[in-house]
Amino acid sequence: MAIKLMAASRRRPGLTRAEYQRYIEFYHGTIARQERFKINTYVQNHVIDGAFGVLADANHQQVANRDAVVELGFDNFRDMMETLEPAVPSAASQDGKFFADECTNIIVMAEEEEVAVPNPVPSFNPGLGIVKGVGGMKVLQYIMRDDSMFLEDYLMHWRKAHAFAMENAPYAKEQLRRCVMNKRCRINDNDGAARAHFKMVDPPVYDLVVSHWFDTIEQVGAFRQYFEAMQAYPTTFANWSKSFYLYTRQVVIIRDTPQDA
Amino acid sequence: MPTATAEIRAQKNFADWYASTKAKSLRPPLTPEEEARPFSKYYYEEIPEPDPVHLGKMDKPCDPALAIEPHQMNDLLNPGDLDVEIGWCNLENGAGFIANRIIYPEITADMIDWWFAWHALEDLRYRIWYPPQHGGIMVSPEARKRLLDPAVPFAEKNWGQIHHVTEDCNCGMENIDINFLSPTSFGFDTSRFKEPFVSAFAGGQGWAVTVDKTDMSITAPAMMCHIFRQHPDGLEHRTRFWMGYRLSNGTPELSLPPGISVPVEAIQGLARHNVKEFTRFKYFLPRIYAEFGGRMEA
Repeated sequence: MAIKLMAASRRRPGLTRAEYQRYIEFYHGTIARQERFKINTYVQNHVIDGAFGVLADANHQQVANRDAVVELGFDNFRDMMETLEPAVPSAASQDGKFFADECTNIIVMAEEEEVAVPNPVPSFNPGLGIVKGVGGMKVLQYIMRDDSMFLEDYLMHWRKAHAFAMENAPYAKEQLRRCVMNKRCRINDNDGAARAHFKMVDPPVYDLVVSHWFDTIEQVGAFRQYFEAMQAYPTTFANWSKSFYLYTRQVVIIRDTPQDA
Repeated sequence: MPTATAEIRAQKNFADWYASTKAKSLRPPLTPEEEARPFSKYYYEEIPEPDPVHLGKMDKPCDPALAIEPHQMNDLLNPGDLDVEIGWCNLENGAGFIANRIIYPEITADMIDWWFAWHALEDLRYRIWYPPQHGGIMVSPEARKRLLDPAVPFAEKNWGQIHHVTEDCNCGMENIDINFLSPTSFGFDTSRFKEPFVSAFAGGQGWAVTVDKTDMSITAPAMMCHIFRQHPDGLEHRTRFWMGYRLSNGTPELSLPPGISVPVEAIQGLARHNVKEFTRFKYFLPRIYAEFGGRMEA
């Protein structure tokens, strides 16, 4: 996958989380299947739980609620633009207002980088997973870059901090099945029209969203251990008060069976 | 405790550097500390005008059918000339293409490798290159460590590092992040990197946006290639820009929205800027290399 769009949203006023998640899976997801355009893959990550900021914060410093993160994958940037901005507005683009509080959306256009993990499990996926080596519990970690840090150094420090955390969090090292860096692409800077359309005022910019997979929700304590260890990394590269992570259940809306399977 | 050198004192953190770029874009007079630098005299030199015939070749677009696209970059390794060595145009897909060539009788590949690393350490080093349009430069603390590491050869110091420059390419002052890459990462077949066909390379992926950035400003990608080879009259410098392309996991990808072309003014502006800054380079590099070459500190 060359590029993907990740949209983190929260439910609109008046909806319960269950109503919101039911709507996006069975109605919004169906619209996307019917009007696929050039979507390569479409995955919804339904939020089960999560945390915003860190225990040292007296108050939240961000919108402290997310109900889903959707990931739309495309073969290239041109396909993404033709899908997001078709000549005639798509039904999916008109549907968002019925379930999401659109002005608080967080949009990240990202390129993936796989990070090797010590203990991927090649075929054991109890319960939820059907893809080898993935696991059923997905944690999405949005990491805000510290204002003082150049992007290139931030990414380098994340790699070091990840290695540091893995060494200092043995349960996480044992349980983490897959890890993917979703690195914000600079082309994302040109989403002014989308921000205006959704009336998004100064939305936060996340240069990195990391996806972590564990076997089941029983193992998310491993992520907690990892996160505590990462915060102990000696160089300040992230603003943890403006960062957050979400425990999610992955719902595949579109993913074709590989032709060579 | 030893005093930090000028090369170290130049380091700013990201927030402070970014906040300073508007002021840099106004090309203020040199500070007393800059005046005291041993290379400040170059800032006040008269800038040579380019050969009018050469610059005139940038007056009108060339035939896009004769241009090469990024995936054809290895054609630059073939002996002889390509159809367009000096010119610019919009490609059929909307991208911007620029080619430029200058012969340097008194410049060597070692000078090229040294300059592209040396100039990144201080604003003034970048400003003296082309004072009319160069505002300043910054690298990250980690990049600075690499640039100052004597164990890293000059030719490789920039690989994977980003130069954050403030520069006017004839469309107003912009902040341009240039991610320099090894020739392999850029996409060249380096098994063909042999003298006399390749003597030096400097290139990478850039992103440019006005210093007066607003929510609606466009941040524009481009691929930049400076490749050098031996020529009977000296070192031949061949430049190519592909505006509107970005490298996606090592592969050039057109990154323009459907129906959008790179504006002609931006292509021609960069083409003309390129001729001018490298005309200055031709006369200036041998002299500054004689004074400071072979080391990063000054």
